Amino acid sequence: MISTIFKKELKDTLRDRRTLMTMIVIPIFIFPVIMTVFLKVSEGFAKDVANKTVNIGIVVTPENMNFVKTIENMPKILGKKKVFVYHDSATVQKHVQENRLQFGVFVPEDFAKNSIENKTSKFKVFFNATELGMKERAETFLNAFEEMEKAKRYVALKVDPASLSPIAFDYRNVASDKETVGKLIGGFLPYLFIVFGFIGCMYPAIDLFTGEKERGTLETLLTTPVSRLQILLGKMGVVVLSGVMAATFTLLGIFLSIEVFQIVKDPKLLEIIHQILTVKFILLMYLLLIPLIVFFAGVMIPITVYAKSFKEAQSIITPLNMVMILPAMVGFFPGIELNAITACIPVVNVVLATKELIAGTLDIGLLLLSFGVMTSLALLAILFSYKRFDRESNLVS
Amino acid sequence: MIEVKNLRKEFELSKQQRKELATDSKIAVAVDDISFSCEPGRIFSLLGPNGAGKTTTMRMLSTLFKPTNGSITIAGIDAIANPQEARKKIGFLTGSTGLYARLTPNEIIEYYANLYGVSKADFTERKNRLYDLLDMNHFQNKRIGKLSTGMKQKVSICRTMIHDPEIVIFDEPTSGLDVITAENIIKLIRDCKDQGKTVIFSSHIMSEVDLLCDDLAIVHQGKIVHQGTMENFRSEMQTPNLTAEFIRIINENKTV
Repeated sequence: MISTIFKKELKDTLRDRRTLMTMIVIPIFIFPVIMTVFLKVSEGFAKDVANKTVNIGIVVTPENMNFVKTIENMPKILGKKKVFVYHDSATVQKHVQENRLQFGVFVPEDFAKNSIENKTSKFKVFFNATELGMKERAETFLNAFEEMEKAKRYVALKVDPASLSPIAFDYRNVASDKETVGKLIGGFLPYLFIVFGFIGCMYPAIDLFTGEKERGTLETLLTTPVSRLQILLGKMGVVVLSGVMAATFTLLGIFLSIEVFQIVKDPKLLEIIHQILTVKFILLMYLLLIPLIVFFAGVMIPITVYAKSFKEAQSIITPLNMVMILPAMVGFFPGIELNAITACIPVVNVVLATKELIAGTLDIGLLLLSFGVMTSLALLAILFSYKRFDRESNLVS
Repeated sequence: MIEVKNLRKEFELSKQQRKELATDSKIAVAVDDISFSCEPGRIFSLLGPNGAGKTTTMRMLSTLFKPTNGSITIAGIDAIANPQEARKKIGFLTGSTGLYARLTPNEIIEYYANLYGVSKADFTERKNRLYDLLDMNHFQNKRIGKLSTGMKQKVSICRTMIHDPEIVIFDEPTSGLDVITAENIIKLIRDCKDQGKTVIFSSHIMSEVDLLCDDLAIVHQGKIVHQGTMENFRSEMQTPNLTAEFIRIINENKTV
């Protein structure tokens, strides 16, 4: 009987455009679309910044005109530029503010003198933080100038630059590339899974419980010789499958982004991603994901059974979405690790365990503890759903 | 056969409901100690104004609600102790019954046949007979959402009868339907009687009752205020027509 109900509900659900959107279309396309748009925009932005001719305003006295000439003669590889000489810093600041200049440099009067005396001169650099990338362009030119000045001093003082570097530190990363990627960006994958797993459950849960009550079909269904537990399990099966499918289509979307749309250009990173996305990894991730989705379904169903209308159910579940998704964000913070305590916190445990799984550092004991916690909660959620579904006051409007 | 003895249904009132009803009582009695029996091959009508307790009674008979007190026997089965067994014998149709808009009549009928455990051979035979009888063949593969109200009502009738129930419960089955569509229901109720089924239907439309029923019970404020055969009801009338008599009985039993 459970399978009869499951098959009918699945057929009904797959004919619902709203569910298809949240279960298949959005998860499969959102990642490739967002990533492609993001990369195109950031690539375009970086290109624009690099190609943009920067207008440099320099406040300088006649004795320091050498600085202006040096900047003007900087090699083209450092970027296109136009230099304008100013006599007061207030005008330079105003022009930087108005974006007529990308940055301005105030050269102190005693710069030439300090150079001869091997003293430090304090340059003021005006930039507008709202013009992204321009501070970096300023640093490129000014650092190049500083290096030239240093080279002159080494010659004048007859100093070997190597003699001023007593130690050369050689930093070696002992973590594998896979572990580094896993720990730093591994929180992103479970976050997406949780968001889409939850949204994937949401519409079918509302449609199969509140919707059926609202449309007047539940009353008839309950007069058939099928137990309420069987009806609940048949329907819940479809809700869980929808959540798992939404998460799976998210994974497929990520796969498409990498393999078809080729959003990852760095071959080294691509190799690491290929190392991470193995069949074993995917199976272990589903081991954590399925009880989590059952838990989501078990939390939503009592609400959808209680609600009298689609609107009411939606208005309760939408804020709940935030409550579930916030702990999923824990994966973005470095330093929070899976341990005996975090393994007992629902949602957080799945995020951290998936992160460790990506990094290849997952402790099997903690994986089993997380799985056990989520499975127990999922069973409790089913029991609670059944209690609510069995209450006659919730069944007929 | 349906046998109902001392049936009572109480609902707990929430704070909000107590406020709305201006009462201090923590419970509301929807059905108060009612007893009646419905015989096979006869049509029993439960008559009463809105809010009298008809739908609650029908929901208890169809095992949707559990009575607070009393007993219900459906075709010899204790419906309170064995609701699932009792449901196998019942066909239930209400005026507010909905259908799955994204499925076709064929899919819905097959779904319900499976839920009732109807064998493949019986399902095919009954489906063909009902489709011919109700003239449903031309829209059997159209989605419910695209059907007219009359067509939907025919699907509901077919769904109610696909497991060939011994007992048929109709809760205000014609409410909201036009006369042509309501005629299908009237015909179905008559056919059930001719087939020797036990039929109970609730209504507040006296003309329908006059047309169909053999026995009736008038319910008011959860209690039965009149019970007997339709023949006796007609012969004992103190007013010129059935509607006036119904109103008279209700007014006579009004409590302040």
